[in-house]
Amino acid sequence: MYWEAEIEQLPVGKLDKLQLDRLRQTLGRAVRSPFYRRQFAAAGVVAERLTHIEQIRSLPFTTKEDLRNHFPYGFLTVPKDGPVRLHCSSGTTGNPTVVFHDRHDLDSWANLVARSLFCAGIRPTDVFQNICGYGLFTGGLGFQYGAERLGALVIPAAAGNSRRQIKLMQDFGTTAVHAIPSYLFRLHGAFVELGLDPRRDTLLRHFVIGAEPHTEGQRRRIEELFGVRAFNSYGLSEMNGPGVAFECIEQRGLHIWEDCFVAEVIDPVTLDPLPEGEVGELVLTTLDRRAMPLLRYRTRDLTRILPGPCACGRSHRRIDRISGRSDDMLILKGCNIFPLQIEKVLMRFPEVGSNYLIVLQTRKDGDQMEIRVEVQKEWFTGNMEELEVLSRRIGHEVRDEILITPVIRLVEPGSLPQSEGKAVRVQDLRTFQEDL
Amino acid sequence: MIAHQVSVFLENKPGRLEKITAVLKHQQINIRAMTLSTSTAGWGILNLLVDRPEAAQRVLSEKGHPAALREIVVVRMSDAPGALHDMLLLLAKAGLNIQNAYGTVLGDRRTAILVIDVEDTDSARQLLSEAGIETLGAEQIYYV
Ligand SMILES: [Zn+2]
Repeated sequence: MYWEAEIEQLPVGKLDKLQLDRLRQTLGRAVRSPFYRRQFAAAGVVAERLTHIEQIRSLPFTTKEDLRNHFPYGFLTVPKDGPVRLHCSSGTTGNPTVVFHDRHDLDSWANLVARSLFCAGIRPTDVFQNICGYGLFTGGLGFQYGAERLGALVIPAAAGNSRRQIKLMQDFGTTAVHAIPSYLFRLHGAFVELGLDPRRDTLLRHFVIGAEPHTEGQRRRIEELFGVRAFNSYGLSEMNGPGVAFECIEQRGLHIWEDCFVAEVIDPVTLDPLPEGEVGELVLTTLDRRAMPLLRYRTRDLTRILPGPCACGRSHRRIDRISGRSDDMLILKGCNIFPLQIEKVLMRFPEVGSNYLIVLQTRKDGDQMEIRVEVQKEWFTGNMEELEVLSRRIGHEVRDEILITPVIRLVEPGSLPQSEGKAVRVQDLRTFQEDL
Repeated sequence: MIAHQVSVFLENKPGRLEKITAVLKHQQINIRAMTLSTSTAGWGILNLLVDRPEAAQRVLSEKGHPAALREIVVVRMSDAPGALHDMLLLLAKAGLNIQNAYGTVLGDRRTAILVIDVEDTDSARQLLSEAGIETLGAEQIYYV
């Protein structure tokens, strides 16, 4: 059951060949943009010299800074009247980043999203409610056109107003939803307030979740609360938006559409390529974008390529769920630590919930990590020993994950910043910052 | 006889204790005795002997405090020298792990009692009763 059976099952050798052909075409197009013309000349890039896709490593990287510094037209390969749409980031400081699309680009993007949704089990018979911001944010129009291309009935519900979302679900028999994971917890709260249970009072069966990092535990919780299966979506506006990588019904990693993107994983510090299976920064190259191709773009997202084939039969390799951002990384006692590693451990302890705060402090005997977690009312028995044992167990399991022993500090519920949105997860109070 | 205390989790920070006593005062719940056990990690458990334990637990919980009803064993304190020691020894020998123990005076201002917080209250009561020590129930503690 594939959207495009031939492409999705293309044998690896043929996929490599297709990537090389498309990369060479992309280089030929990219050189028409002011940015790449200069970059290629400086680095001596010649498309014809590439004979294997692995040689993509000889090309220079493109960074978010490059996009900002050449705002708005520096990456455009066609005249300014060529593109038919742009999406740009909000950019609170300095220049935003902008991506232009021509008709071909939009067509290719819609097809990738349709392929992604189909891969996650969504069908033309589904009623698809798109709960996310429209406008400049790519999740709105990206899923709108993709789900329409698939043939689903699409409700452009946009973000917010939980009661109206629930009303739409009930009025039109919504079966599939796209939303960010933190919103779904709030939406469930709205169901409860109305005395409704989404498992009983809706036809929901498929969720697509993405746009913010979340753990496997959070996904399972969403699935339980709504009685659905939730599939992970990965994309970023620089690479169109949604439709870059998507989970299939196996729910074991996200297939990255390798006919349209080249994926590499690098060490964010040394910039060296990492072998399959090792976590590092994802670097992506577009292979089917005309108005504004990007080459070896550093996404700052951390993941790894999952080894081995997928049971679904697709030959496109899979990436693991995003485990953090390379710019979120903490360095403590020489170890690289990502807050999401700690969150993953805490999810195993319902006694403390999933809210946490990491505090880094300088002590006489060196830097120390304190993790504050909230004691959950429902699990509290009044037994002191139990809580002390719980503290120790959390400490041990965190140490097993990050190789540093933290101080676990139990705090009263509600005393930490809320988990919704961009919560502050790390307070670095160290007096002498280590060099990154 | 069965009795309960209310145990509340709290951080060792100024003002935390007052927050809890304020909630109880507002509900006109009378505190007979109170002890605070603190851990070395910045938190503690406040144990309260109150006249309406169920109400106290419910209202504290509604206000967001982790609060639990904990079954306790309550005995009348004897005037005889060494009686307390003998009793604790009895429980310890049976392998019963005492979490906490505290004394107070009942509302009649004459009867001194000992509150014992032990995991296995059934066994503790059984042992005490075999040794001829009477355990007190809710009516005897809260309404005297
Ligand atoms: Zn698969």
